[in-house]
Amino acid sequence: MHQVRLQIKGSDVARYSYSIHMQISAVLQSWSKPKNYPLFIRSVPIQNELKFHYTVHTSLDVVEEKISAVGKAMADQRELYLGLLYPTEDYKVYGYVTNSKVKFVIVVDSSNTSLRDNEIRSMFRKLHNSFTDVMCNPFYNPGDTIQSKAFDSIVSAMMVQAS
Amino acid sequence: MSRQSNRTTDSKKMNAELFTLTYGALVTQLCKDYENDEEVNKQLDKMGYNIGVRLIEDFLARSSVGRCQDFRETADVIAKVAFKMYLGITPSVTNWSPAGDEFSLILESNPLVDFVELPDNHSSLVYSNLLCGVLRGALEMVQMAVAVKFSQDTLRGDNVTEIRMKFIKRMEENLPAGDE
Repeated sequence: MHQVRLQIKGSDVARYSYSIHMQISAVLQSWSKPKNYPLFIRSVPIQNELKFHYTVHTSLDVVEEKISAVGKAMADQRELYLGLLYPTEDYKVYGYVTNSKVKFVIVVDSSNTSLRDNEIRSMFRKLHNSFTDVMCNPFYNPGDTIQSKAFDSIVSAMMVQAS
Repeated sequence: MSRQSNRTTDSKKMNAELFTLTYGALVTQLCKDYENDEEVNKQLDKMGYNIGVRLIEDFLARSSVGRCQDFRETADVIAKVAFKMYLGITPSVTNWSPAGDEFSLILESNPLVDFVELPDNHSSLVYSNLLCGVLRGALEMVQMAVAVKFSQDTLRGDNVTEIRMKFIKRMEENLPAGDE
């Protein structure tokens, strides 16, 4: 697991309409649990949370479409980072899926133009690394919601940095 | 084909994460089986004891340290040789009691607890209690009765992990109590 240093330029304090909403959902983890339910959700600021939930949920369809599109082709040629899933008028949605079919989704305000693609990429890499640490906790059962304080603090730090 | 030659060379490298995950699986399985933190702590101590009485032979064969003259020397050997050899860390020896029969080992990092976060319902679990048993068992085989416990634990929010060791008595040359 390599360390990634995320450098994001400071932004105006006035730009408060930002929100970064992250949702992670798990699919095919266990037979008994339903598909695509979220393991972890965080948004900042917290108004409009319901709209984010909706946006993320619909974007999961796009994610599914992208990962099944490869299909017959070599699985290892598909990148983990899915890039911009689709732009709506308000938000940009980015996706990332691991080889174990765990999906990470980041929703960012369209007015936030200072977040570049490679910054989003490194955010996903950090998320992926932190998620791996959570999985290594012997008290964590795959499929549970993520309660880990370490994961929480990494996500919070990332969202503060990006906003 | 003597095992002696194996022992003088470096121990085979094993992936640290596999070791940590194995220990984690052990502890969580014990928690599921006993459902009581105190009971789990006791079991970990017992298991550690059984490891310790065997590990001491390996240690003595590998390290060729002589008999320690006093408890202070014992503490140094434990911290600088034994921990280094088996866990790859070197704790510091501090907090000697005035009588010289108690000391603390301060571990900056503990390879057993990488990635571990104790959930709230296991607040009295001493996750690394196996180590206490190992130390107790190993020292018993060199005729020293000690009491070992964790006085600080990073999993519980402390800054460092501290193991407190207290010398009880020198034992007579009798057979060990055997597997408890």
